[in-house]
Amino acid sequence: MKEELERLFAEALEKLKGAVEERQVAEIKAEFLGKKGKITALLRGLVNISQEQRPVMGCLANEIKISLEEKIKESLEVIRERKRKEYLLHESLDITLPGRRVPIGRKHPITEVCNEIIGIFLGLGFQISEGPEVELDYYNFEALNIPKDHPARDMHDTFYISDEVLLRTHTSPVQIRVMEKQSPPIQIIAPGKAFRCDSDVSHTPMFHQVEGLMVGDNITFGDLKGILTIFVHQMFGDKTRLRFRPSFFPFTEPSAEVDMQCVICRGKGCRVCSFSGWLEILGSGMVDPEVFKIVGYNPNEITGFAFGLGIERVAMLKYGINDIRMFFENDMRFLGQF
Amino acid sequence: MKASFNWLREYVDIDFAPDELGEDLTMAGFEVESISKVDANLNNVVVGKIMSLKPHPNADKLSLCQVSTGGHLYSVVCGAANMISGDYVALALEGALLPNGVKIKNTRIRGELSQGMMCSEEELKIGRDSQRILILQDDGLELGKDIASALNLEDYIFEINITPNRPDCLSIIGIAREIASITGKILKIPKIEYREGNEKIDKLTSVEIHDPELCPRYSASLINDVTIGLSPFWMRRRLESAGIRPISNVVDVTNYVLMEFGQPLHAFDFDLLSERRIVVQRADDGDIFTSLDGMERHLFSDTLMICDGEKPVAIGGIMGGLNSEVSENTSNVLIESAYFNPTNIRKTSKKLGLQTEASYRFERGVDYGGVIRALNRATQLVLDFCGGKTAKGIVDQYPSPVFPKEISLSVNKTNKILGTSLKKMKVKRHLKGIELDVKDLDRDKVIVKIPSFRMDLHREVDLIEEVARLDGYNNIPTTTPVVRVNTAGKNPAQVSQDRAKDILTSIGYYEVVNYSFISPLSVALLNLDDEHPYKRFISIKNPLREDQSIMRTTLIPGLLNTMKTNVYNKNLNLKLFELGTVFYSVEHEKLPKEKKMLSALATGLKYGESWSFPGEGIDFYDIKGSLENLFEGLNVMNFNFLPTPDIPYLHPGKSSIIMVDNTEIGTVGEVRSEVLEGYELSDTVYVFELDFDLMVKHTFSDKKIKPLSKYPPIYRDIALIVDESVQFKDIYNAINKLSNKLVDNIQVFDVYRGRSVANGKKSLAYRIKYQSYERTLTDKEVNNIHEKLVSNLVEKTGARIRE
Repeated sequence: MKEELERLFAEALEKLKGAVEERQVAEIKAEFLGKKGKITALLRGLVNISQEQRPVMGCLANEIKISLEEKIKESLEVIRERKRKEYLLHESLDITLPGRRVPIGRKHPITEVCNEIIGIFLGLGFQISEGPEVELDYYNFEALNIPKDHPARDMHDTFYISDEVLLRTHTSPVQIRVMEKQSPPIQIIAPGKAFRCDSDVSHTPMFHQVEGLMVGDNITFGDLKGILTIFVHQMFGDKTRLRFRPSFFPFTEPSAEVDMQCVICRGKGCRVCSFSGWLEILGSGMVDPEVFKIVGYNPNEITGFAFGLGIERVAMLKYGINDIRMFFENDMRFLGQF
Repeated sequence: MKASFNWLREYVDIDFAPDELGEDLTMAGFEVESISKVDANLNNVVVGKIMSLKPHPNADKLSLCQVSTGGHLYSVVCGAANMISGDYVALALEGALLPNGVKIKNTRIRGELSQGMMCSEEELKIGRDSQRILILQDDGLELGKDIASALNLEDYIFEINITPNRPDCLSIIGIAREIASITGKILKIPKIEYREGNEKIDKLTSVEIHDPELCPRYSASLINDVTIGLSPFWMRRRLESAGIRPISNVVDVTNYVLMEFGQPLHAFDFDLLSERRIVVQRADDGDIFTSLDGMERHLFSDTLMICDGEKPVAIGGIMGGLNSEVSENTSNVLIESAYFNPTNIRKTSKKLGLQTEASYRFERGVDYGGVIRALNRATQLVLDFCGGKTAKGIVDQYPSPVFPKEISLSVNKTNKILGTSLKKMKVKRHLKGIELDVKDLDRDKVIVKIPSFRMDLHREVDLIEEVARLDGYNNIPTTTPVVRVNTAGKNPAQVSQDRAKDILTSIGYYEVVNYSFISPLSVALLNLDDEHPYKRFISIKNPLREDQSIMRTTLIPGLLNTMKTNVYNKNLNLKLFELGTVFYSVEHEKLPKEKKMLSALATGLKYGESWSFPGEGIDFYDIKGSLENLFEGLNVMNFNFLPTPDIPYLHPGKSSIIMVDNTEIGTVGEVRSEVLEGYELSDTVYVFELDFDLMVKHTFSDKKIKPLSKYPPIYRDIALIVDESVQFKDIYNAINKLSNKLVDNIQVFDVYRGRSVANGKKSLAYRIKYQSYERTLTDKEVNNIHEKLVSNLVEKTGARIRE
């Protein structure tokens, strides 16, 4: 019996050596140690041997069984280790292929820039107001101190719907609508579309502006400078220099154009700034007393400032766009870049 | 406004460079848009003097001149005939390259040596005269001197943007006055004096103003026996520098004074004036008048006309008439200098569609106090350059005199508005610097007398602006205001707009911005009947182009046109959206109704071109899914899609009305092929359009969460074979109705047609989730419930179970 056990053990070991798959090891295990396995069958024969021999043989059989189980385990481990190595060695991807992207879209650059501008003014405590894009002559001109037959109307090439109704030429009428409804203090911005009949590389018949209005008891021209300086610094960087120069708008007095140092050449002079080093970025001024009278405010008690800036202009500077018409062609090759 | 640097220097000393001057003007409120250098580029062209002149021995039309340059005598053959011995000329010597490309060489002409060329204005490119050689005026010219410096040909032209409130600076002297105030130099107004004739002007002519409101002042002078000809070279050159074409000496003088003082003038041929007098009166509606430019003008009753004894001879303040024009035969001229009502000039100019240098200035307001000075200046220059003699005195009808205004200015208020702490002394100094007369009123206030050329200053705040401007905006301290704390800056609709854009971009849509005006044709292509709201558009009276002539009532035409642009550029896979305003005309309302719409378009491949995604085309369920994403993201609950065959531009079997809380808020579907053809598009295109304002009203803000169950769910599937006409929702609703409370969720997971399903039938497979929030369910329990559900379902719907 002892010889038989040792022979079976040796046979099992021999077979294990040839096993290369886990499945083969399992078969060997079943062949020798399974319910109907060869060693298991032999052990069943223990009942037939003598009383004295039984413990010795039993002990031996058990040792062989444990030993074989260990060998099987080792063999399995070897196979698994080999498999793991094979897996790492042979399975590899071309990781340079592009990833599987779910396509995402982009907001229009006008929206992006407008949101950035709005964000700055929200941070300064401004609220957002809106007004109609098709507007009465009254709000677009007359209430802004631009009477009919005033030469200042030449500054606006106006689209008319009728004698009294037009496409607003600026976002300034929102100022009047807000002041008519609210009493001071007022601190609003009004982003939106405006229209003028003009079309070339730097003009489109529709464009976007952000209007601003701040009215209260002691608002000064110095405050106007302060707020707009904060805006330009946040939008274009702290080091951007700016200058205020006299200009004319019928609804502000004094009026100021705001120039900022050219963002392209940093003031050295280039094609974008016509070699002046400066870029016109904002129109602004102290609200004209006539406008206060029109909305029923007392110009002796109230002061305020207003400003307006072109969103396209800011976007063009920010992204280096040189033809304003690109904004409204909506070519995917353009929209995809923002 | 174009201003020549050399011309400006006649009235004020400028001791710095042109670009520095440009900077200073810009900062004073006169934006210099460009400075262009006028280069003479005339090397080897010098001042010469004709010492002798004789006919060319071998040619009838040529002459032979000896020209001196001081040190040298040159022989020059010349073809012109306007010179005499002793004239100063521009002599181009060997090596000179003229602006027209001609190179000067010593040569022989018909056998005679010619060592240079005497040039015409045209050859030097400094004027238009090509027939005659240029004869220089002998006012101390230095022989042999470079012609460019001798004639002051090098110049800088400033293009200055003069704002509408500063008509006084629409003249060289006006700008010079500002320069003087900037630099502290003295403004040098030219001296005006001439010898008057003996005959009193009243005996010769008269002026009658019938409408003093439209013409508060009219003055005239009379010069007899003038010789019409070319004005002097320097005058023509200055006119050219200002963009005015020289015509003849008399006309040039009037234009010269216009540019110099900003006062428009007009010269009449006195002999063409009937009864030799002037009557200023309104036209009658329908009158026809031929203006100087030869155009027939239809007049109105508010058109102010300058007439003679019997007929109109000029449109007052705008343009003269052909019938009284100064011509080469003119010998007696009447010069008009007047002040016209600005508003009426502007109205007339608009009505007639005629804007001139004169109307541009009159409508902004000329210096009513400078009318006579300009007249005298013109009279002086006519006498100087056209000869003749004047009558004694001038006519000056001034029925409604304007008196200088006085305005009080508070220094405290100035500082309050500007945020400055300027002293009264400084305020006074600034105002005096621009020729205002300033006197103290009390400790705080001053009284300012406004000169006639500053019509724009009529209120205290106008003076405050002048103080700010003259002190320099950049010297005003930069401060920040003290303000009340505000509530959040965006209202819920504005927040929803941002959110909607975030959602749509995150699921692959690109935002577009189209023009608010569209083509009437693009709406017509949608097949709408006349009652459709999209047909209630408003039109622009003066569109730039026909295809931008109506205000949009829908965003869909814009999206289809955007698609067209992109298809042209081979961008075929498109997911686009726009959130923008549309406009509907409303009866009896002046303004249209405006509302925000949100529309989208999807076409091409679902995932674009990709190596790994299947190349599947976008279909209805993609765009519907986008809407569902949008609604969920915006917290729009209770939305529902109703099939409809009634949207004229959408496929009847693949379109839907979108309902929220039983309100119709929009439509979605596949665009009909005939509509696409109209837009020159093919492919399959899906669109949706939502009334954004309406949708926002249905956003749900009071969201509460549902608790999570601690117990595992159990899933059971069911596949039903139904007729094609049965819709997902029918079965879904039936299951829902039959379900007991343990049914937590019903999901469709397969829609199948084909093998093992008969023609005209389809299989719908649902997965039902059973879930208790109180205990763990057993398989047995769920099986019982599910079996009951299935048998009820079969009974109720007539569907067959797919095995």
